[in-house]
Amino acid sequence: MAGNPACERFVPMLSPYVDGELTPAERINVERHLGACRDCTGRTADLRAESGLLRVGLDMAVDDVDFKDFAQKVMARVTPEKPPLIERMKLALSEMFLYQRTAMISSLATAAVLVLVALPLLMSDRAPVGYAAERMTVKSIQPYQNANARVAPVVMETDNGGTIIWLVDEESGDTSSSGKDDEELEEEIGGGMSPDGDGLKRPARPGTDAPRPSGGPL
Amino acid sequence: MATDDLTLVKRVRSGDQRAFKLLVERYQRKVYAVALGMLKDKEEAMDVSQEAFVKVYKYLDHFKGDSSFYTWLYRITVNICIDVIRKRGGGGEHVEFDETQDMDLSEARIGALGSRLGTNPQKSALRRELAEKIQEALATVPEKHRAILLLREIEGMSYEDLARTLDIPKGTVMSRLFHARAKVQKILSEYLELDEAKSGVGNE
Repeated sequence: MAGNPACERFVPMLSPYVDGELTPAERINVERHLGACRDCTGRTADLRAESGLLRVGLDMAVDDVDFKDFAQKVMARVTPEKPPLIERMKLALSEMFLYQRTAMISSLATAAVLVLVALPLLMSDRAPVGYAAERMTVKSIQPYQNANARVAPVVMETDNGGTIIWLVDEESGDTSSSGKDDEELEEEIGGGMSPDGDGLKRPARPGTDAPRPSGGPL
Repeated sequence: MATDDLTLVKRVRSGDQRAFKLLVERYQRKVYAVALGMLKDKEEAMDVSQEAFVKVYKYLDHFKGDSSFYTWLYRITVNICIDVIRKRGGGGEHVEFDETQDMDLSEARIGALGSRLGTNPQKSALRRELAEKIQEALATVPEKHRAILLLREIEGMSYEDLARTLDIPKGTVMSRLFHARAKVQKILSEYLELDEAKSGVGNE
């Protein structure tokens, strides 16, 4: 810091002077010194040159970089993109076929067989026809004609062609079944049954000694 | 007119991803320049730049808005850079300046940079070799000084903002900036002298 002893005081102020960070009073003092000191004027020029050099030099280095995908890469990291469900499933399936082909094929074959077997079973597993069957309708009622019979069978035909026979054990002279003596038998037999002509419900008055009819041939 | 940073930050907070992309695009070059100046390595600088933005996004709720968004962004960037430098270990990066040493430029060099480059160098006048030399010169400056110098030159931050960004007193900013400049200036002057002697002609 050659000749001028004032430089010692002003040199540290040159950097903030170049940056415009001095107070107005300091600035005036520095400028007064610069007017009289060649060295400090040179130092100031150096600081400005260096400042510009750094800016331009770094700018050149940044120009070499392609920022086209920069923002997208950042965005991908902050919001990992989730492909649509179908895409993900496709991907998962294709990977499975690629790496576990044998296992996949045998699994698929097993699944197909299961479907073929289970489906008809499931289809046939409908609600049982009977009291609770929704579609059970009484199509015909055929009274048992034997006057001596103790039971009054009621034959009902269901939608799916089955037949239900109620054998109502009745006390003689009592048409409404009641009490502990009542006995209900139910039997379903395949095949349709032609309804009897009049189709009237005419409960029989079975004799007490009459053999209990089974659901035999009607 | 471009939307200001704080408005964009508010939009990001309310779930507007596009607003964050705008912030990234606004600062990507400068953040990268700071990272490159700090680390010298292009790939590391790129990784750190991305990391800085990811961190900013992640901790956006911690940003109170009482300071500028960019001071916060640069603080995060500089801190990541300093972490990377420390992880590298060795390399004399921890050597602190002897700040008692004054700006002892030899008389012969006073005005060397200014007279060779002018006070406002243009890209066209700057050779790539010199641009690379700048990064070498920066690498000789301790990281905390380097950060101040870079933020001042790249972003043009005021001393007030530098103090806030780096959480140091304004006087320290001034002192560190002065010493960092002296160091870089010395190296660049030597390089230019050598370069001139080699070519045997002036570099005007």
